[in-house]
Amino acid sequence: MNYYSMRNSSYLFRPTEGYDVGNLFQNLYDEYKNYKPRKLEGRNEKEKAYLELSRIAFAMHEVNLYLDTHPDDRMMIQLFNDYRKMYIEMEEKYENAYGPITTCSNAMEGVPFAWVEKTFPWEVN
Amino acid sequence: MFSYKKMLQYPINIKKKDLRMAKYLVTQYGGANGELGAALRYLNQRFTMPDDRGKALLTDIGTEELGHVEMLETMIYQLMKDATLEEIKDAGLDAHYAEHAKALFPTDANGVPFTTTYFATTGDALADLSEDMAAEQKARAVYENLIDLTDDPDVIAPLLWLRQREIVHYARFKELFEYYQNKDKPKVDTNVNYSDEFMEGFFQQLPVNDLIMNRRF
Repeated sequence: MNYYSMRNSSYLFRPTEGYDVGNLFQNLYDEYKNYKPRKLEGRNEKEKAYLELSRIAFAMHEVNLYLDTHPDDRMMIQLFNDYRKMYIEMEEKYENAYGPITTCSNAMEGVPFAWVEKTFPWEVN
Repeated sequence: MFSYKKMLQYPINIKKKDLRMAKYLVTQYGGANGELGAALRYLNQRFTMPDDRGKALLTDIGTEELGHVEMLETMIYQLMKDATLEEIKDAGLDAHYAEHAKALFPTDANGVPFTTTYFATTGDALADLSEDMAAEQKARAVYENLIDLTDDPDVIAPLLWLRQREIVHYARFKELFEYYQNKDKPKVDTNVNYSDEFMEGFFQQLPVNDLIMNRRF
């Protein structure tokens, strides 16, 4: 990603760090006491892929909220679209390997119906 | 319309049951400053935002809040699910158990059920957005109180993360508020106007007008 150098380099977190802290914008980041955000890591291939997908979804969403109030920022629109393309690609890969995230997925074609087969995200794993 | 994505916005895996914490956390689900109120507040207010910018921001933040409702539900569910009846009684959740067993139900930390009086819609963008900014600050403060009440890192991590989201949302609402506040105001020209016409009018207003204007040099 070269956006970080194109813009003020201290402005945006990379998706990994931004997702860990819950904030893509360094100028908005505000720590609570001495608490440090958890560094998220996947324990296996599936968790790693899921985490990567979550990071890009989050980065895309953060830029989306920013663009709602700054709709003329060309550089950020470009960044949004780059994240969006990465997300689409990663989501498809994830779904083909581990089952559907949405019902639009190609992974819905098997029998039994894949939507009821895979665990829901609120279960501990 | 809305469609479901089989993901949490941030992963939650709480291994240790803690009924006391479940009892406190529920306030960010169904309490006055909770996520359910936030989601409904923004998703109702968005219809009367004055332009597409406001409709977009309130839709997007309101939708994210629905994801936060799911995160809170997940935390409470995981903290409660392995509890014995004795533990439920000891934690003072017996009244909850009587009506809901271990099912989720939106209340505040004192068991007061969720009510729509927790949020307002006025049809006035500045009034609504002021409420939204206050709501985000109050939710941030409650997350800090909740973080103070636990030492379980599996609970602290998502609470820190949710607290950070309140800060980002506050900043975006503030940007929108300021945009609306300044949008329709005529641009105030702060430059001094030295045109002949203006100066003539200006001098005529002065009490010393006669002295200056009619003075013969």
